[in-house]
Amino acid sequence: VTGSPLLRSLRRIGAMAGKETIHVRRDPRTLGLALVMPVVMLFLFGYGVSSDLDHIPLAFVDQDQSEASRALALAFDGSREFAVVGRPGPEGVEGLFRGGAAVAALVVPRGYQQDLLLGRKAQVQLMLDGADPVVGNQVLSKADAIARVESQRLAGAAFARLQPPLQVKVWTRYNPEGRSALFMVPGLSAFLLAITAVMLTALAIAGEWERGSMEQLFASPVGRLEIVLGKLLPYLALGLVELLMVVAFGALVFDVPIRGSLPLVMLFGLVFLAGMLGQGLFISVVAKNQLVATQAGALSAMLPSIILSGMIFPIENMPLALQAISRLIPARYLVHALRGILLKGNGLDVLWPDLLAMAVFAVAILGLATARFKRRLA
Amino acid sequence: VSARTSAFWHTARRQLAAVFRKEVRQTIRDKRVMVLLIVAPLVQTVMFGFAVDFDVDRVPTVLVDQDRSDQSRLLARQVLADQTLRHAGDLAGIPEADHALDDGRAAAALVFPPGLARDLASQRPAEVQLLLDGTDPNRAMVASGAVSRYFGEVGERLIRERLEAAGRPAPAQVVLSPRVLYNPRLKTAPYIVPGIAGTLLVIVTTLVTAMGLSREREMGTMEQVLVTPIRPLWLLIGKLLPFLVIGIFDVLLLVAVGSWVFEVPLRGSLLVGATGVLLYLFSTLGVGLLISTLSQNQQQAFLGGFIFMMPAILLSGVMTPIRGMPGWLQVITWLNPVRHFAEVMRGVLMRGAGFGDLWFQLAFLAALGVGVMALAVARFRTQLG
Repeated sequence: VTGSPLLRSLRRIGAMAGKETIHVRRDPRTLGLALVMPVVMLFLFGYGVSSDLDHIPLAFVDQDQSEASRALALAFDGSREFAVVGRPGPEGVEGLFRGGAAVAALVVPRGYQQDLLLGRKAQVQLMLDGADPVVGNQVLSKADAIARVESQRLAGAAFARLQPPLQVKVWTRYNPEGRSALFMVPGLSAFLLAITAVMLTALAIAGEWERGSMEQLFASPVGRLEIVLGKLLPYLALGLVELLMVVAFGALVFDVPIRGSLPLVMLFGLVFLAGMLGQGLFISVVAKNQLVATQAGALSAMLPSIILSGMIFPIENMPLALQAISRLIPARYLVHALRGILLKGNGLDVLWPDLLAMAVFAVAILGLATARFKRRLA
Repeated sequence: VSARTSAFWHTARRQLAAVFRKEVRQTIRDKRVMVLLIVAPLVQTVMFGFAVDFDVDRVPTVLVDQDRSDQSRLLARQVLADQTLRHAGDLAGIPEADHALDDGRAAAALVFPPGLARDLASQRPAEVQLLLDGTDPNRAMVASGAVSRYFGEVGERLIRERLEAAGRPAPAQVVLSPRVLYNPRLKTAPYIVPGIAGTLLVIVTTLVTAMGLSREREMGTMEQVLVTPIRPLWLLIGKLLPFLVIGIFDVLLLVAVGSWVFEVPLRGSLLVGATGVLLYLFSTLGVGLLISTLSQNQQQAFLGGFIFMMPAILLSGVMTPIRGMPGWLQVITWLNPVRHFAEVMRGVLMRGAGFGDLWFQLAFLAALGVGVMALAVARFRTQLG
């Protein structure tokens, strides 16, 4: 055996990584699932996640039965946003809400047309099913917009001669069409990396404990830390491949831009993965049982990286205590950084705090996991 | 014949009880598993109930007031008043505002151009600009909606004032007065908590069942038990029952916490809710069993469970509305037990819905449960037989 101790150590780590790679390769089903998953999820997210609604089912309760009330029904039914699905009596509305056939109802009171003819404000009640607040909020703002247009139409010639005195011009940067795929791909990348790194490593290492083969490995001349590093390396590679797949698929299928630098994406991915692998190692050392490791991983990595990372729900809207907790979740920094790099073209000058935070987490958790690992063996 | 039947049931009951006892002991013995099955869902429900707020507000907004008039200051103060936008500073010009969007200090910038007050006073058309960070389409939509609504109202008021000043009659106007049923303040928690409960139950039942049974396969213990006189079917039922019990316990716990912490109402019949819960758990356990028959080891079972779970959660209407999905995808969500469960729970808890309102969801849950379970049991028996 030749070379410096470091070189020899690296060679042993390489051998461990080679052994683990063979394990992964011999189990094509696991590998396949790990690689198919990002693609499936990207499609679901890209098509499935959108909060902007069309054809919201609306019940129309017409107590006026006039030309004006029929015109109002037409204004709603003819819009892209609403579809009139029923014309019940006022007592029938709740039944439609309970069965889910309608989520909103317009109740036009008797005297509606008369009010309009007299130039008064004509009140129309908008009932809505508040059980789903996302839909409810959209109903409120979309119905409001249609009522305003109807008012302008009714005002007719008097309005037409006046130019609108004050207008808002909206410029939307980075994602002018408001496509959800552009929003989701960075978040999805963070999520998939968190899952692959934490879960697969936790399972792989906990599996060795469970089967008792970890002790056999310790009997070999390979150092204990070298074993761990060697076991982590193939998953690091797998994670980077997944990241590239998601970014490439996002770009090809959903036209997600890559405005910043791709090597920077990989750098952030790498630092993030180091932290996640450390977390997986830590879990497996504590749990040494695959079932417990899965649950602990789901609890500490999977759900927080969906809910507390800003991937779907904005962090600014959370209570302050949870905003503080979200600072401990590395996925938060990766989501923010990937959005910055891909959509805004940000560079390290803007994103260095994210990189720093992820690096601190990685060093801390790897240190903690290694310390626990050594103590368990002592 | 009756003696033989009763002997059959006697053995069946004894075998079932034996397996059940063994499984319960094994599950209870590992305290960590119990903690994860009971405490974890509780903690997560509370945490996510607080974390998830669909009501986007406090969007950080910078003001670029190049007019510096009383009028522009008044407009700025009023547009910020409803808290949808949060004042995040003042900047001198549009390039600075763009930079603030770039580095994320602001998500919106409101620009009042020079001469705004003068234009309004002399009845020339005026224009304010809103720059938005579109990375989060939902937030951008809410921010632009709030700003457009406010300036729309201002514009209408101005028109009315000008018509009045010119001595002409004001035009008629349609005014909507909203009345929100079931959840008057449109709070997110009562909506999201039943959905989160459904999601966590998938983890507790599907994932745990799939991995637990795969583990037995990995270790070969299933074959050992089969050498004993226990019939495979009783073995299976005995193994699934403890998780059914834990699932039911978790539901009760989460509904209690939901009503206590998040003021989720309970307006409907418990019988309808319980029917939904049982049918749902039957289908999630069935999926877990099916995944275990398709996996050779725990890693595969986890990935399989995960591949079921993610679409099931994302396409359940819990995170984003089902009506926002394309039509073909909406049809696919009929096959998703989480969707039906979330709708049943929301219907029962918030709207007071009964069997007549929820028959579609309950029928689908029942069909899914029976179908998946039958498939899984058939596979399980051929594999062991």
